[in-house]
Amino acid sequence: MSGFCQDDHCVTCGDIAEPMKVVRIDEGRELALCSAPDGERHTVEIAFVLPVEAGDELLVHAGTAIARAEEEVSAEVRR
Amino acid sequence: MLAGEIAATAEAGRHYKLMEVCGGHTHSIYKYGVDDLLPSNVELVHGPGCPVCVIPMGRVDDGIAIAHHDRVIFTCFGDMMRVPGSDGTLLDAKADGADIRMIYSPLDALRIAKSNPDRDVVFFAIGFETTAPSTALTLKRAKAEGVPNFFCMCNHVTIVPPLRALLDSPDLRLDGFIGPGHVSTIVGVRPFEFIPADYGKPLVTAGFEPLDILQAIHMILGQLADGRCEVENQYKRVVPYEGNRAALAAMAEVFELRPHFEWRGLGFISQSALRLSDDYSELDAELRYEVPGVRVADPKACQCGEVLKGVIKPWECKVFGTACTPEHAIGTCMVSPEGACAAYYNYGRYARRKEAVA
Repeated sequence: MSGFCQDDHCVTCGDIAEPMKVVRIDEGRELALCSAPDGERHTVEIAFVLPVEAGDELLVHAGTAIARAEEEVSAEVRR
Repeated sequence: MLAGEIAATAEAGRHYKLMEVCGGHTHSIYKYGVDDLLPSNVELVHGPGCPVCVIPMGRVDDGIAIAHHDRVIFTCFGDMMRVPGSDGTLLDAKADGADIRMIYSPLDALRIAKSNPDRDVVFFAIGFETTAPSTALTLKRAKAEGVPNFFCMCNHVTIVPPLRALLDSPDLRLDGFIGPGHVSTIVGVRPFEFIPADYGKPLVTAGFEPLDILQAIHMILGQLADGRCEVENQYKRVVPYEGNRAALAAMAEVFELRPHFEWRGLGFISQSALRLSDDYSELDAELRYEVPGVRVADPKACQCGEVLKGVIKPWECKVFGTACTPEHAIGTCMVSPEGACAAYYNYGRYARRKEAVA
């Protein structure tokens, strides 16, 4: 059934960014090939989080990295 | 443990109403049962932070009108496909033969434009400041690369004006706000300072893990207990105080504020949405294609407006779960999994049944 968001939330319009790992960078075009937690690969805009290196973890929303992903929940919260 | 601290901080006999602004928080709260961990006098109210839920029917009709042009390949995010206009959804229009394609990013739409040079590709842009920078980058890219057949119908909205409208609403009583997480990575924390300054309510920006939300609630209750009222940032690991300057600069270049925009259930709110700036007007689908631009009243039975304002809970709506379900939504709040009604329908029904029996 295509045409719907099949995830339990919609990555594109849910105001939630997903963590992805940078696999390869196209510096000239400010794009990166990133790998999502499910293993799927996506082309991601990296203009807002430069400089970026392979292996970095980014928060990606609608194909654009909007922040660097930090540890899921900080030690301070877990206490 | 945190739940115990929250219970200890909440003053007995006082009823707290806290609004989570962001649809992503609403979704986490229901998915993980965060509200079940709270004492009974701490109530969460679901705010207007789902972009799909606040789009008025007239804008859907305008999109469908553009999609029906033979030249057009119409592209949008998945949730948008099922949002009802006055005469069906984009999915219905697709069944009628319109070329409508679901995409995951505006970059996908640009790619479709490049591989279909004889067609006009229109991207239906929607979302708060989390998504608007992504649209801005793609429009900058389209202009720089000189892609002549890429257009954008811009429905981006901004978070601060509806919050102000909500706070000005006479039937609203709130004690504090859980501030949006990923919107704040872009706009920062500063734009929310008017909430304590002008309205005397605390706001704590929060992440999306259940622990993040619980900690934010604890911080809000702590402020209320101390008689403090300020903006705090629980999500410092991702949200900088100043936001993302590069993203804000891209948005400022590509967009300008609309004088006013209609919000479902909230009415017209001035300077609450974005359109393309003069420099990008040749990419504006609303200028290239005539759209009906008709204002369509919401269905009478639908109480999305009251749900969005937090005046009623989703299940208190007359059509919740009966005439209005995620499969056949009447109101927008039932469409997106981030919508208060859909989130409640998907995760909350059991808890409520348990409550009714007890």
